[in-house]
Amino acid sequence: MLNVYLFQILNGLGLGMIYFLTSVGLTIIFGLLNFVNFAHGAFFLVGSYLCFTVVAATGNFWAALVAGPLIAGALAWVTERVLVRRVYHLPHTFQILITLGIALIIQESAIMIWGPVGKSVPPPEMLKGVIRFGNFAYPEYRLFMIGFAALVGFALWLLLERTTFGAKVRAGSENPEQVALLGTNIYRLFSATFALGVALAGLAGVLSAPLRGAHPFVGTEVLGIAFVTVVIGGMGSFGGALIGGLLVGLVQSLMTSIWPQGASLMIYGAMAAVILLRPYGLFGRA
Amino acid sequence: MQTNSSPSSATPSSSLFGGITLAALAALVALPLILPSATLATEIVIFAMAALACNLLLGYTGLLSFGQAIFFGIGAYLSSLVMIHLGAGLIIALVVAALAGAAAAALVGALAIRRTGIYFVMLTLAFTQLAYFIAYTASDWTGGDNGLLDVPRPPLALGGLVIADLEPAVSYYIFVATLFLLLFVAARRIIGSPFGSTLVAIRENPDRAAAVGYDTRQFKILAFTLSGAITGIAGALYAMLLHFAPLSNIELPMSENILIMTIIGGTGSLLGSLLGSTAIVLLGDWLSAIWPRWLMLLGIALIGVVIFMRGGLWGGIEGVVAKLRERRGGPEA
Repeated sequence: MLNVYLFQILNGLGLGMIYFLTSVGLTIIFGLLNFVNFAHGAFFLVGSYLCFTVVAATGNFWAALVAGPLIAGALAWVTERVLVRRVYHLPHTFQILITLGIALIIQESAIMIWGPVGKSVPPPEMLKGVIRFGNFAYPEYRLFMIGFAALVGFALWLLLERTTFGAKVRAGSENPEQVALLGTNIYRLFSATFALGVALAGLAGVLSAPLRGAHPFVGTEVLGIAFVTVVIGGMGSFGGALIGGLLVGLVQSLMTSIWPQGASLMIYGAMAAVILLRPYGLFGRA
Repeated sequence: MQTNSSPSSATPSSSLFGGITLAALAALVALPLILPSATLATEIVIFAMAALACNLLLGYTGLLSFGQAIFFGIGAYLSSLVMIHLGAGLIIALVVAALAGAAAAALVGALAIRRTGIYFVMLTLAFTQLAYFIAYTASDWTGGDNGLLDVPRPPLALGGLVIADLEPAVSYYIFVATLFLLLFVAARRIIGSPFGSTLVAIRENPDRAAAVGYDTRQFKILAFTLSGAITGIAGALYAMLLHFAPLSNIELPMSENILIMTIIGGTGSLLGSLLGSTAIVLLGDWLSAIWPRWLMLLGIALIGVVIFMRGGLWGGIEGVVAKLRERRGGPEA
């Protein structure tokens, strides 16, 4: 009985790390660019489908793990240059509309390329087994996913806190004009941050593909969950994205064993509770 | 969210039953004559109603709501339930839809406006997801994935006296169009009233409106309630049109559709909402048969509107008219 809960807690951690990677990208883009990316879920979808394509073509999951975020990031970089850049100075309404348009285009392109039926992706050959602790067994791939996402999260934290790039991103979210005056090409910084944020969503898409496959309409669902995570954790906060993501993942996973139908319902219920008690999120500033 | 960007003018002129209302009337008369079926025309007018309600929030109050599907879906479900289980008539069913939409909107509005700007938008979106999962989970009532089947379309009756059978498509169209026109005139009256001016003031500068002494919170919730009531009615009419209340009524894409119609038509113009719903419903009807991926065009259109034509179709028409006037050297109206 206890094993069932341990199983669900580990599942929740894995799910939570996926949500963390997705929403931390959303958060850093918002933090620096003050831009809300409604196409974020669509780029997650791109990651999942790239994983399918690369694994189907080469049989190599590791190639997908590299290619997915890189291609998603490159796609985002181009999108930023061509479209997103034009609306930074406009009110949020227009930013939302243009990214909603981008999300629709990505979703429909995905259906044109990969068809309307979802694709499943096998887990990598060397992680197909289970790991045993006494009489408790847990799939290797899921453990790898938790560990890898944690590693990426730590690397991201180092990047943001310990490098010049990170310092510029953080300074830019406080005062972009000042950073520009100090000689940084702020537009290049914006492009790089947008690409980085989206690459994280792409990576989350790749990592979740062996578990959930790739589906053309997953973008909306992922966007909804990323928003809930951010509302719970507080927008623009790295720690908020981590705690929010883990909380949402754990609630969803534990509910699956208690009341499967209401699992998704509960995470939105949790969000409503947080808004009532702490309108600015657990880590948000007023 | 607050923006001070809506392109069209703030309040309509005092000519309440003047040009704009006549134009709406003309469009409503023309629609079923031009289109191949009255059912298609009815669908356009129902979505025009939903877009009009969305416009009250976005165009006049500056609130971008992804929650419209909640009110649309609740209107559809509750009116259907009271008709199916309690044998309610048309008017009762519509009143129930309006009240349910208003109540849901007041609740969502009150919770969501605890935050402003982008957080507000995200909250309305998340509440739509919440409502979707509630509807999905409560499948005993909503039919879950299958939707609520066998929704009746009762005759228009007053005190047991049947005035019109609405089963024929044309009769139903006339009923829906009349209701739309009434709501259109009412919405124009509301916008022209001091209440409407306050909403516009909140849109333009929420801080200043608050400083002047308006309880902006209360005004926003009221605008939400009003919008929810109208959207609820639209949802009920849609269920009666289809004889069916699908789960997709209460899904996020429905919110997006209503928003897109509002914006492509032109925010801040009620006639624009009719224009927007006509454009999108027709586009969908014609294109979906030829090219199932027509939603991609919608995405491109959205990007085009943001980059080239922020006033939407209505703004575009206004621009063309202004240019023509200029060329003729006539006076600006």
